[in-house]
Amino acid sequence: MQRLESRLGFLSGLPILILLLLAFIMPLFVVAGFAIMPQKVFELTHLPDFSSFAVIWEQGYYRSLLRSLGLAFLTTVILFIVCWPLAYGMAKVFGRFTIVITLAVVLILFVSENIRLFGWSLSLMKGGLIEGYLRSWTGLSFETPLYDWPVIVFGMAYVYFPFMLFPLAQGISLVPDDARLAASDLGASPARILFEIEMPLAAPGIMVGSLLTFVLSAGAVAEAKLLGGRSVVVLTDDVESAFTFAQNWPLGSALSLMLIGIVALLVLVPVSRVNLDAIMGRKR
Amino acid sequence: MITRRQFSLGAAGLAGLSAFSMPGRALAERSNQLNILCWEGYNSDTVLNPYRAAHPGATIRAESGTSDPEMINRLRAGEIGTWDLINVNQPWARGELIRDALIRPLNKERFLPWFDKMTPEFAKPYALAFADNGDLLGMPQRYGPFSFVVNTDRISQDSAEEQGWNLFLDPAMKGRYGLLTYDNWNVIHLCLAAGLDPFKPVEGADADRFAETCRQIVAGARLMTDDLVAMNTALINGEIDAYFTGGTYTASPARYDGATFVRAITPRSGPVGGKGGVVWVELTSAVNNPDPSGLAEDFLEFVQKPEICKAVAFSEGTYNPIAQMGNPEVMALFDAEMLEAIQFDSLEAELSRCLEFDVVPSYDALLAAYVAARRG
Repeated sequence: MQRLESRLGFLSGLPILILLLLAFIMPLFVVAGFAIMPQKVFELTHLPDFSSFAVIWEQGYYRSLLRSLGLAFLTTVILFIVCWPLAYGMAKVFGRFTIVITLAVVLILFVSENIRLFGWSLSLMKGGLIEGYLRSWTGLSFETPLYDWPVIVFGMAYVYFPFMLFPLAQGISLVPDDARLAASDLGASPARILFEIEMPLAAPGIMVGSLLTFVLSAGAVAEAKLLGGRSVVVLTDDVESAFTFAQNWPLGSALSLMLIGIVALLVLVPVSRVNLDAIMGRKR
Repeated sequence: MITRRQFSLGAAGLAGLSAFSMPGRALAERSNQLNILCWEGYNSDTVLNPYRAAHPGATIRAESGTSDPEMINRLRAGEIGTWDLINVNQPWARGELIRDALIRPLNKERFLPWFDKMTPEFAKPYALAFADNGDLLGMPQRYGPFSFVVNTDRISQDSAEEQGWNLFLDPAMKGRYGLLTYDNWNVIHLCLAAGLDPFKPVEGADADRFAETCRQIVAGARLMTDDLVAMNTALINGEIDAYFTGGTYTASPARYDGATFVRAITPRSGPVGGKGGVVWVELTSAVNNPDPSGLAEDFLEFVQKPEICKAVAFSEGTYNPIAQMGNPEVMALFDAEMLEAIQFDSLEAELSRCLEFDVVPSYDALLAAYVAARRG
């Protein structure tokens, strides 16, 4: 009976499985297929020659990869530090006021990412909203922070803020108040409670939030383009260049595959150590 | 009463039937449909609405691309059956589109007479609108010199034209200029700055010289962005005095807003037969759609009308000279302010100092060297 049920379950899930296969996995296979094709071909019917990977090595694309991963890591760390107090408040302190914060953060997502980044670009440019008004009111001026790597990190932290905040709040809500109080009664300092009680117990939320922000930041395009002005070449920029101006789809695909592979590796190891059921609130 | 099962079956059946019926319907409507993939301007209502009014039963759609290769990629990726016209810079039409049979030649009998009404440079007719075998690849319209831009309050036009690309190699200019990151243009301009001909193979010691020039120009740039508005703003604010890669296309919006000290410069001398500037020319070509629209060539004739020419030249965002300005009826539609914005006073002289934007034979290697310099 149980076997029949599981077979029926599989059969009823089959259409969506096929859809997922076609919509998500097939494009990846196409990318993987192009990655091993000879340079500058537009069909998958050629004999594979893996030359794109040699080009990646010879032309130092690993530098862009390291830069992308570095910026993503920095964004994740900054977001964790910025979001922790707010997430803590949402989970433990604010009570009904949490819904106001949630709404405020969610409403921002209703505006397209590009438009929000353009808004920052107009605000931060020299003679823009901030510097322009400051100069006109006080005579003081400052150099634009645009077109450099710190502003790219700022842009990514701004855009991916909700992706760290909500999982973190969820994770912190898993920390039993009793455990914290008990530690406090036993004389633990606030720092010790944070590092030895709260952070380990909120680890699933920390992990999910960090993974989401890291993966999204590593693949981000718009921030480096709109705020960084392409002055900092990240790997996604190289992918776009290869597909467009270089008209080299195999190189673009190989670069994409490299990013997907490395990010997947960096993500799968921590995910295999996390009990996702815990964060979903289910008990085993 | 319909059961849920009956409803699902019916819905699935309908979906299946509609899937079968769609291609047939699409085919039947092709003669009454026109899809244009273009740079901004041809997709504006001032251009399209008069054509829609003239063809009330037809569906006219136009979409603006973000770069020539991005538009070409869309054709390669299977949208060749969607689009009827494509508007790109001529080297892409000659180098990629015709080679890979993504466009089809235009009817010469129908279109050659239109060249007679163009400015002298195009009336010959314009050689680069043709393939090597003489096929007409597309119709030219917008064009413009494209080299670099200065703030003439800081660097005089005369001095900038005289110094040419050496301006950016002058140590005194370090940190005083921007780099507009239009990759394909940057490669051409960096070749010229290095004293090389970008339209001939660049190899060996020349490639090394090119790489060195890339490093020098990138290192000296105060800001790098592909946003022409940000670049013009920086120029107007005094943040920079010039920007590497730019022309009438990028300077005209600022000039039309009154900042006439923003000026596109064409060097007076250069490494290729004494020329150091480059001119771009767009071609609008018929896509090799397996089910072509009968309206494609008709639209190409429509955009030769004087009022439509003006709308194309002065579309939202950027303002450019057009080949049809050789026709007095077209010229009469431009006022002094518009002509000032597109630097019409020096246009002819600048064109005489320009090389035609062409296919760059060593493009891949040069782009790699340039991107490597930017990557640091």
